[in-house]
Amino acid sequence: MVEITILNRRSELGRVVTLLERFGAEHHLAPQLVIDMQIALDEVLSNVTQYAHPDNAEHSIHVRLRMIDGVLEAQIEDDGVLFNPLLAPLPDLRARLRDRHVGGLGIEFVRKLMDDVTYERTGERNRLVLRLRSES
Amino acid sequence: MESAAGGKGLELVESQSDGVAIVEPRGRIDSMTAGLFGARVAELIRSGSHHLVIDFAEVLYITSAGFRSLLIAGRLIDEFKGKLVLCRMSTEIRRLFEIGGFSDLFEICATRDDGVRKASWP
Repeated sequence: MVEITILNRRSELGRVVTLLERFGAEHHLAPQLVIDMQIALDEVLSNVTQYAHPDNAEHSIHVRLRMIDGVLEAQIEDDGVLFNPLLAPLPDLRARLRDRHVGGLGIEFVRKLMDDVTYERTGERNRLVLRLRSES
Repeated sequence: MESAAGGKGLELVESQSDGVAIVEPRGRIDSMTAGLFGARVAELIRSGSHHLVIDFAEVLYITSAGFRSLLIAGRLIDEFKGKLVLCRMSTEIRRLFEIGGFSDLFEICATRDDGVRKASWP
């Protein structure tokens, strides 16, 4: 398992990209698998950095990566406001260019790219677990 | 922005062909790079490049932040009665367009030549 703590700033997300890339190389993961997880983590973490902390103060976000029984698992833990992405409304994917909004799209990507997503609120913390099977 | 070769970020390569502007993003279009990508494309459109091809051959992936930039670019081009064409997508990029429901919102060509031809039409 590898673990990284980042601050709730968008510029910090590059550290997670690098970590996941290195993790993927060490575990000989397929590029497609790493890419899908990178997208999901970008969506989740950009949400957290933008919306989780209305106090605009500095907060830590913990990201853990591990391989367990052929499954790539990412855990994201933050002390932000309660947010369960599994309950977020779905975007209207049929709207035309002029009317199309991208609100909710990030979460939609997470749901569709991952094999499994679980959310847990423990005390004052959100914990999201993303899982992606390594063998197809 | 760091180069794609460095494993991070996004690089934009720009060129012209038959009066069509071509932008080739190389690397990741994610929450960190989408702002700069969108700003540059919007700047090109506002400064007169109303016929534009975005070449996806070297794009590793695109997240919702990148799609937001593309939507804005598409609307801006429509305002100028121009034409935006996307080309050379990998199957992975194509899949992301499908998942996001963007395949029907943009004209997508297999080759850059096709893209330039389509974009130069009114």
